[in-house]
Amino acid sequence: MADLELRNIWKSWGDFVAVRDFQLEISDKEFLVLLGPSGCGKTTTMRMIAGLEDPTSGEIFIGNRKVNDLEPKDRDVSMVFQNYGLYPNLNVYDNICFPLKVRKVLKAEQDQRVRKAAGMVEINDLLDRRPAELSGGQRQRVALARAIVREPNVFLMDEPLSNLDAKLRISTRAQIKNLQYELKVTTVYVTHDQTEAMTLADRVVVMNQGEIQQVGSPLEIYDRPQNVFVAGFIGSPPMNLIEGSIQDGQFVCEMNKGFPLSGPEGPIALGFRAEDAEIVSEGGQLKGLVYAMELLGDATLITLRIGGGLMCVKMPKDFRAKMGQELAVFLKPAACHLFKTDSGLRLNQS
Amino acid sequence: MKNRTFLVFVGPSLFLMFLFIAGPLMSVAWQSVHITRAVYEEVETELCTPGFLTQKCTMEIRTQPQLDENGRQISETVFVGFESYKNLLQPQVAFENIKEGSWAKLSNINFFKALRFTLTFTLITLPLVLGIGLLVALTVNQVIQSLRGPIIFISLLPFVITPVIGALSFRWLFVGDGILTALLEWWLERDIAMFAQGWTIEVLMLSYRVWHVAPFAFIVFYAGLQTVNRDTLESAIVDGATRWQRLKLVILPHLSPLILFVSIIHLMDSYRVFEEVIGFRSQAHVISLQWLTYNFLTLDETGNRMISRASASSMLTMIGIVFLLLFPLRSTWREHQKRRSG
Repeated sequence: MADLELRNIWKSWGDFVAVRDFQLEISDKEFLVLLGPSGCGKTTTMRMIAGLEDPTSGEIFIGNRKVNDLEPKDRDVSMVFQNYGLYPNLNVYDNICFPLKVRKVLKAEQDQRVRKAAGMVEINDLLDRRPAELSGGQRQRVALARAIVREPNVFLMDEPLSNLDAKLRISTRAQIKNLQYELKVTTVYVTHDQTEAMTLADRVVVMNQGEIQQVGSPLEIYDRPQNVFVAGFIGSPPMNLIEGSIQDGQFVCEMNKGFPLSGPEGPIALGFRAEDAEIVSEGGQLKGLVYAMELLGDATLITLRIGGGLMCVKMPKDFRAKMGQELAVFLKPAACHLFKTDSGLRLNQS
Repeated sequence: MKNRTFLVFVGPSLFLMFLFIAGPLMSVAWQSVHITRAVYEEVETELCTPGFLTQKCTMEIRTQPQLDENGRQISETVFVGFESYKNLLQPQVAFENIKEGSWAKLSNINFFKALRFTLTFTLITLPLVLGIGLLVALTVNQVIQSLRGPIIFISLLPFVITPVIGALSFRWLFVGDGILTALLEWWLERDIAMFAQGWTIEVLMLSYRVWHVAPFAFIVFYAGLQTVNRDTLESAIVDGATRWQRLKLVILPHLSPLILFVSIIHLMDSYRVFEEVIGFRSQAHVISLQWLTYNFLTLDETGNRMISRASASSMLTMIGIVFLLLFPLRSTWREHQKRRSG
């Protein structure tokens, strides 16, 4: 097991910068998730850790050993890929065993380790089958077993659940979490699915356009987004952001009368989560027309049109409203987030 | 889809296939068991010579072609069974030669001489075409993007050249005063006559075919390489697989349907080797089955064509191709069945 450190990592192809000055320390046994939209540089960062891409500049350390010049096989990392990466003409047993064969592990030990790894992901009864005879979930478990069997210092997982259906994704996600708990191996996990990030990670790194936007625990990221991008990316639905300004202690925005809000005078973006707002019959700070009503089962999601934008409010499951009806929204002052409109950075640090 | 709709779509194709494939094939099969020959009649003529006291007369019986009322020769087509096949294969002589273990004597029978070369040609060129095609494809796949277009264009040129022209050009390089012969003579300091013996001609013919067809294999494999599962390849790199292991475990399994496709096409094509025999003018030393058929169809000194024997030779060539294709097709069928049951 080992710490992992990325120092001032840059990756560019010609004029295009994929990763920009990436600095991060990952503790031993930590489960770190790189989260961001497609093309944000998270997979490139992981590929640089694996040795599949060379950084343009910067240094990568695994367990205090600089690995920039090491071949992928010498970095002692295992990687699980989105498309499983299994050898099609080898059966499950040989697929799992392959990294051990390459490393010339003794035959008896090979067998013992393969069966142990297969047992951990519950595929003991599939060892004689070929990948083509397996379902997507089974294939991904074989890929996990092949990563486990190496007993590496670092696990790298590149969107391993993306090809699975929703139900299978939940069970495999739990299995990955459990495996990491049992094996206590430093894990870097790439995903664009925030639910995966929130449920699996000890820490989440939110990335956009090659840059780190915020690093923190899932709760920190959710409760205290450091900028508008993180606020808008994390959460389902994402945080409501309403542009306006504070004038004389009042927040004023399009189509609404002002209401008291403490913060610096001038233009700001007001953010609040759907579950931190409430539709009330009297005394709300904001008003809007019902744009959509979505029944989620455990709640009802009301989308209101306010000026040129939309905002979501999560209400109890039996709440109903008419389309186009005007409703008032009450915001809990403590749950309001303020962001600068120009830089998008968070204003209220408390 | 309704049967009627299906037939409407498939009908024209079936009709054309029958007209241009099944029809000629049945015609060749029919011709191979029939012989068309002139009808002869016996004409009895009394020839008398003048004598001193009596004439001396003799009766002469002549056989001559029977003519119709317009003076044209009458011919008839008769069923002869496998007579043409027997004439072609000469089974008794062949069996005796095989029993003696004398290949030299067996190759006196033209069919076996042609079969020996055709099989050698097919089975030696196949692995070379596959191997060189794959090697070039792997190399081009490693080259930087901007150079790939020109390299692919240049690599494809041998395949674009008409086979007879290509074979002739190859021959001119190696004839007595050819550029390469002169170069070899200068280098090895000895006289070289590439066309004086069969084996050197065969080597040239094999080399020419590989040079001509390898680009086809290359372009098919190169296309296949563009769809290799990148995750599997990178997974193998992280696992520590060597280049050879990556080729064996990831690339070759991925390309296997294409390898089978190229093999089938090449088997069918090279078993019908003909242009090389013409281009290299190798008839005196080396002949192929297809050339043998052509030779039977060429007019002989008496103005006849051996159509029945040519048809028998064609049928045997076709049976040979089917036999060779049985192996790859059987493995494909097994794989298909396995997938279906899986």
